[in-house]
Amino acid sequence: MDETTHLRLLGFIVERLEVGILAVDRQCRIVLWNRFMETHSGRLLDAVQGQNLFDCFPELPASWLKRKIDSVFVLGNYAFTSWEQRPFLFRFKHNRPITGGVDEMRQNCTFLPLRDASGEVKMVVLTLADYTDTALIQRRLQAAILESETERRKQRALLRRLQGAKAQLFQSEKLASIGQLAAGVAHEINNPVGFVTANLGSMERYLGDLTQLIGAYDAAATALPAAQAAAVQQIRQKLDYEFIREDLTALIKESREGLDHIRRIILDLKDFTRVDQDGWQAADLEKSCDSTLNVVWNELKYKAQIVKEYTHPPHPECIPGQINQVLMNLLVNAGHAIGDQGTITLRTGAQAGEPREVWVEVQDSGHGIAAGDLKRIFDPFFTTKAVGQGTGLGLSVSYSIMRRHGGRIEVRSEPGQGACFRLVLPVQRTEISDQSPPDGPDLAGEVSAEELLALEETDGR
Amino acid sequence: MNASANVLSGDQTDALQEIANIGMGQAGDSIARIWQQFVELSVPRIAIVEADRIPALIHHFVGDGLVSAVRQAFHGGFRGEVLVVLNTGNRHELGALMGYDGPLEPHEEEEMLLDVANVLAGACIGGIARQLGADMGFSAPSLIGTDLDAHSVVRPDELSVATALCVEVCFNVKIHQLSAHLIALLPREEVAALGELLDRFLCTL
Ligand SMILES: Nc1ncnc2c1ncn2[C@@H]1O[C@H](COP(=O)(O)OP(=O)(O)OP(=O)(O)O)[C@@H](O)[C@H]1O
Ligand SMILES: [Mg+2]
Repeated sequence: MDETTHLRLLGFIVERLEVGILAVDRQCRIVLWNRFMETHSGRLLDAVQGQNLFDCFPELPASWLKRKIDSVFVLGNYAFTSWEQRPFLFRFKHNRPITGGVDEMRQNCTFLPLRDASGEVKMVVLTLADYTDTALIQRRLQAAILESETERRKQRALLRRLQGAKAQLFQSEKLASIGQLAAGVAHEINNPVGFVTANLGSMERYLGDLTQLIGAYDAAATALPAAQAAAVQQIRQKLDYEFIREDLTALIKESREGLDHIRRIILDLKDFTRVDQDGWQAADLEKSCDSTLNVVWNELKYKAQIVKEYTHPPHPECIPGQINQVLMNLLVNAGHAIGDQGTITLRTGAQAGEPREVWVEVQDSGHGIAAGDLKRIFDPFFTTKAVGQGTGLGLSVSYSIMRRHGGRIEVRSEPGQGACFRLVLPVQRTEISDQSPPDGPDLAGEVSAEELLALEETDGR
Repeated sequence: MNASANVLSGDQTDALQEIANIGMGQAGDSIARIWQQFVELSVPRIAIVEADRIPALIHHFVGDGLVSAVRQAFHGGFRGEVLVVLNTGNRHELGALMGYDGPLEPHEEEEMLLDVANVLAGACIGGIARQLGADMGFSAPSLIGTDLDAHSVVRPDELSVATALCVEVCFNVKIHQLSAHLIALLPREEVAALGELLDRFLCTL
């Protein structure tokens, strides 16, 4: 190839290459301006040649770009700009008028020093490559990565909630089946207790009859010959008939009381579990307290003195079986917190204002709750009790029960001074949204059916 | 002298040290001119290093603390990569020096780091190459990261060479609390090409 052909070829390439090429001299006057630059800037070579670059394109970042070009002149080094940090140098429309997505052409630029024979830099050549496609792909990739990242985070949160919900389900199922068992037993006991009560009634009557009969005999005894009268008197004294007569009455009275007690316990158990009458209803919180107290009495009787400060507030609409469950959790916790001897105070009350609310407090004189633990006690599985003693679910279940009721559970405690839990319920039932409140414990919210479905779908992928 | 050897001979090493000294001096001078600041330069250190030692070496050069790092490839008479590890105290003042108006946006800060690294790399490699009569080209610098600890600037498993020739120099621009370590790495097989250039240079003396 001779030199002219070679030069023509090079000229053609510079002119037609799909890359912007321009050159400026030391005064930043434009000396070269190829077809790409003409097309995209809408300025022909004739219009810009010999003109100062910054006069022609006032939108260029002048102070920064001047320094950059200067440094190429002084150092004779390369310089670059990348679309990632600086989307474009020249504000050109991108080459995707139809399928666009970005406004300006993304550009990677290179500044090349052009030296003369003496090594001095005479011009700076600027090449400008269109990176719009790369930028678009990158943007889409980044969006996809972000999306899958959010998706993953959502899944993780869902999984955690699912685990929490599973644990709660387990706990409340356990309680429900214990309740059912107790109700069944109560029912079974009811029958024998019924006939024992009836029999006791008959026995009492018969005893009256017998006493009457013996009285009659006593009256007739004076007619007996002296020897027989003495023998009867002797037996009477030996058996201590007077005592037997009095004691029998007392025994029967006590047995009747015992039977009454059994019947009350059975009623309380039925009341507590409410297997027969589930669902929303206005319930007397004080009665709930009393029947629950009876159920857990065994655990408390030796160490706790019970103080009741009842003020007979209105009866809130609730699911009594569930509120009893909450009260039981609180009473058991209170019993645990009291070491040897202490007091449990049950208080009820009503709050003025809208919506009308009523409350129950269970206060104990136990060891109290450390300040750092206060915000964690409602978390599932949070427990300070020994392995096997506490699962740490009681309060978290209670929390979600109260939330489902449109109510809340509050706690205050001074370490060493005991703790006081307050249940607040709206008198009128309110609709509850499914969203977890922002301040609630992480896992207390139940997982909705849709969420479970979504989870299964993503699992199956 | 065996030009195909993968290590430099004693003469070649001496010559490279000499050339590096002069080249860095010139580089410092031209950088001082464009930034209008006095630039402090260390005496370049030259060493052959095993790839798995490079992270420790970088840590040895720059010490503890967080740094930013840029890599840039060069090619021409010989080819290799420059790592520029920067410790920029006052980025905003530096930004003003580079012609940015107002406080720097995060992407402007990145661009500035790339630019500073590019200027340093161009001056140093260019300075050495010019004395050797080699014409060098550079590809665009890319950011390795900001706020890295020195050990994580390069990971040995990312390096594709077993041994490299390392030329290290440290810049300090006091006023702007800018310090930069420039580490030029030549893969072993490129050392021969450099050796030839050094031999040619030695002949002209
Ligand atoms: N009345 C209280 N006094 C002091 N600490 C309490 C009281 N009630 C709860 N806590 C603290 O809160 C923790 C969580 O209580 P929660 O009822 O949720 O679980 P638990 O009693 O440990 O176990 P579970 O109730 O599942 O058997 C308890 O381990 C205890 O540390
Ligand atoms: Mg408990």
